[in-house]
Amino acid sequence: MTGSVGLSVLTAAGGLTLADGPSELPSIDDFLPPEILFQGTPFAMNRIILIRAIMTVVLLLVFGITAKRAKLIPGRWQGFVEWMIEFVEYNVVYSTMGELRGKRYVPMCCTIFFTALCFNLCGVIPGFNIAATATIAMPLMFALWTLVQYWRSGIRSNGGLGKYLKKELFPAGVPWPVYILLSPIKFLEIAVIQPGALTLRLFANMVSGHLTLATALVMTDWYIIQVHNAAMVPVGILWFLFGFLMTAFEIFIAALQAFIFSVLTAVYINSSYPEDE
Amino acid sequence: MTTFAEENSGIDLFIPKTYDIFWSLIILVILAVFFYKFFLPRFQKIFDERAEKIQGGMDKAAAAEKEAAEAKKKYEDQLTQARVQASKIRDDARAEASHIIADARTRAEQEAAQVSANAQRSIESQQQQALVSLKGEVGSLSVALAGKILGKQLESDAVQSDMIDSVLGDLESESADKN
Repeated sequence: MTGSVGLSVLTAAGGLTLADGPSELPSIDDFLPPEILFQGTPFAMNRIILIRAIMTVVLLLVFGITAKRAKLIPGRWQGFVEWMIEFVEYNVVYSTMGELRGKRYVPMCCTIFFTALCFNLCGVIPGFNIAATATIAMPLMFALWTLVQYWRSGIRSNGGLGKYLKKELFPAGVPWPVYILLSPIKFLEIAVIQPGALTLRLFANMVSGHLTLATALVMTDWYIIQVHNAAMVPVGILWFLFGFLMTAFEIFIAALQAFIFSVLTAVYINSSYPEDE
Repeated sequence: MTTFAEENSGIDLFIPKTYDIFWSLIILVILAVFFYKFFLPRFQKIFDERAEKIQGGMDKAAAAEKEAAEAKKKYEDQLTQARVQASKIRDDARAEASHIIADARTRAEQEAAQVSANAQRSIESQQQQALVSLKGEVGSLSVALAGKILGKQLESDAVQSDMIDSVLGDLESESADKN
């Protein structure tokens, strides 16, 4: 970022025409856009939150209408939606914790999967160009929900907070001096590390995806249009191909991260249950 | 155009803003309510209905198949029965026919025997009559013939009768010799 800033300054000052580089390279500022609505209030909205709100409305409309019009004999779109639901139900939840235990967590994992998928896909939707999960708060909310859920299920299924903590912090079959080291680590794991890892994994993927993709497109624009030099056009075409490839890759990453998030939610909830059940 | 990074350093990325938390939470709650209360129950209902329908259809098909099998068995039984009955009727008819033929033949043979016996009897009686009448006529003819030969009337009936008898006796012995 500093480099691009330096170059921009240089451009302004020295008037170099060819080797100064594009001025609009993506930076972390893309993820901290200015507030554009209700500035200064606790419900201020910036660009990413606006994208998130729009995507929410779209998601509610599309899936709401799909569900409303759902028929016994599904059409193609309904078949696809049903396939996704069953994918979450069987491949995410039941394969992790079994049908008996998992049934009550299907709606939660579905919410997380569908929401994360649609929000992640905003990163490749023209006009949005940034994932709706690309501020830390959204992945953090997902992760906190997971945290609350596995603490709840742990407390309930183990028969109380004490028993849950005993199971988590003092695993059986370990010599007691080890607990001095192990128990704080285990506590950190269930209180901070697990939700933190969930949050950072999703957020960082979206950040890096946006940076790569935006860089590729800015460079394409720079080499083909801005520099006015026919010799540089092939370089621009290469950048464009790279951007094309990265777009496809980002679509894949969007689905993959939604899948990973919901699977880990199921895994964490499952591990909060007593071992011998 | 980027500005100098005094206001936004890298760590800012990882510190959630209050308003961001607020909106994320609102949106997540709305979406969770949507998925929990509407979207998934709706599809669950569709899935259940579909399973029920398929199950119902399969049961119905099984019932229909069973019914068809029963009907087929019934018809086959009836067919077998009918075949047995038909062959029985045929056998009876054949037996009766041969019976009738045998009766008719017996009756015909009896009648034929009767007819031929009657004929035999009538031939015998006619032969007898012929013999008797021939006997009378031959006598008178012989007498007339002998009178003409002898030229005179035989006077006494006794002589006449003796002559006839002797002639007849000759005739009979002659015919016996010829035969």
